[in-house]
Amino acid sequence: MFICLYVCMIKVYSTPACAYCVTLKKFLTEKGIEFEAIDVSENEAELQQMIDKSGQMGVPVVEIDGQIVVGFNKSKILELLNIKE
Amino acid sequence: MLYDLIIIGAGPAGLAAAIYAARKKIKTLVLADGAASQTAEAHLVENYLGIPSIPGNELAEKFREHARKMAVEIKDGVDVSKIESADGKFEVISNNGTLSAKSLIIATGKKYRPLEVPGAKEFEGKGITYCATCDAPLFKNKTVAVVGAGDAGQDAAWQLTEYASRIYLLNKYPELRGDDRQIQEKLKTHLKVTILNNCEPMEVKGDKFVKALVLKCNGDGQTKEIAVEGIFVEIGSVPASKFLNGVVKLNEKEEIVIDPKTNATSQNGIFAAGDVTDVPYKQMVIAAGEGAKAALSACEYLKSF
Repeated sequence: MFICLYVCMIKVYSTPACAYCVTLKKFLTEKGIEFEAIDVSENEAELQQMIDKSGQMGVPVVEIDGQIVVGFNKSKILELLNIKE
Repeated sequence: MLYDLIIIGAGPAGLAAAIYAARKKIKTLVLADGAASQTAEAHLVENYLGIPSIPGNELAEKFREHARKMAVEIKDGVDVSKIESADGKFEVISNNGTLSAKSLIIATGKKYRPLEVPGAKEFEGKGITYCATCDAPLFKNKTVAVVGAGDAGQDAAWQLTEYASRIYLLNKYPELRGDDRQIQEKLKTHLKVTILNNCEPMEVKGDKFVKALVLKCNGDGQTKEIAVEGIFVEIGSVPASKFLNGVVKLNEKEEIVIDPKTNATSQNGIFAAGDVTDVPYKQMVIAAGEGAKAALSACEYLKSF
């Protein structure tokens, strides 16, 4: 199984008014995790990438070193980041 | 760990209850699921006392901030599957393990009613969405349909006019209903919007993503297909009370039956507040008041221990 051990590339695809996205970004920030926030409503190329990678059209999507998590799936995100609560 | 009080739900009812409980120095835990509250999904809230106009997610965050200031313990991402009562205490069974408390407040609100036609489940997230506020910007220059033309459906259609190239608004009634006459007039005359009265969805078609919606209109038995890439579902909501499964009494709408004075349910020690209950008006400001009532009643109950 994939686990991100050291430095991870984390991207969060979101839209401005999506409550799940806000919760997710706040959660990562609280855990002290740096990420690149992408507003897909402003960036069509990134939106298409998000759709291609995740095979779906909902936000938020988190990419952790190439692994895709759809929605605010907290336990999956913690697992990929190798964080214990 | 045995809590005095576990509050299930972190919307206005749950967090108002938490603040009251914190002021009474009751050992309290709030459980929030991974999903956003109805408050957080509201586009704009313009009827909450003291705040003339605010996006729903900002108001939801203010509620949380207030609770955090009162040092309320909130656990996120907890889905409760079952409640059991044993020896005067309650076990809350969740994906986060089992938690115990002397009393409970159920404040889980309502969840969207799912579209139940062939293809609807299969294409969820693949063009079908239940959150216009979240996903409207993803459908820039695309043709979309809004299923359901009540207040929420009208609001979704209006939000979509900013992004989509064409919007079909499916209305099962002969004309638009709802309180907001202004938005109805705007939708009727908007160049991008086509209102399909007397129409109901029959099937969602597509390959990897949604490609079309099959409709039946005027009850004439004929179906027709419209090519759409997005389907926004706004057909109302149902109380989030499934997990209670016989623990407290529900009415025919699956709302928790409460004593309107005390917010007590049919089970001694379990209280309920807000939209998940049979309170007649589902409003944030009412939910907050109901949460406060439930917490004060829970305090009284805890004195008996």
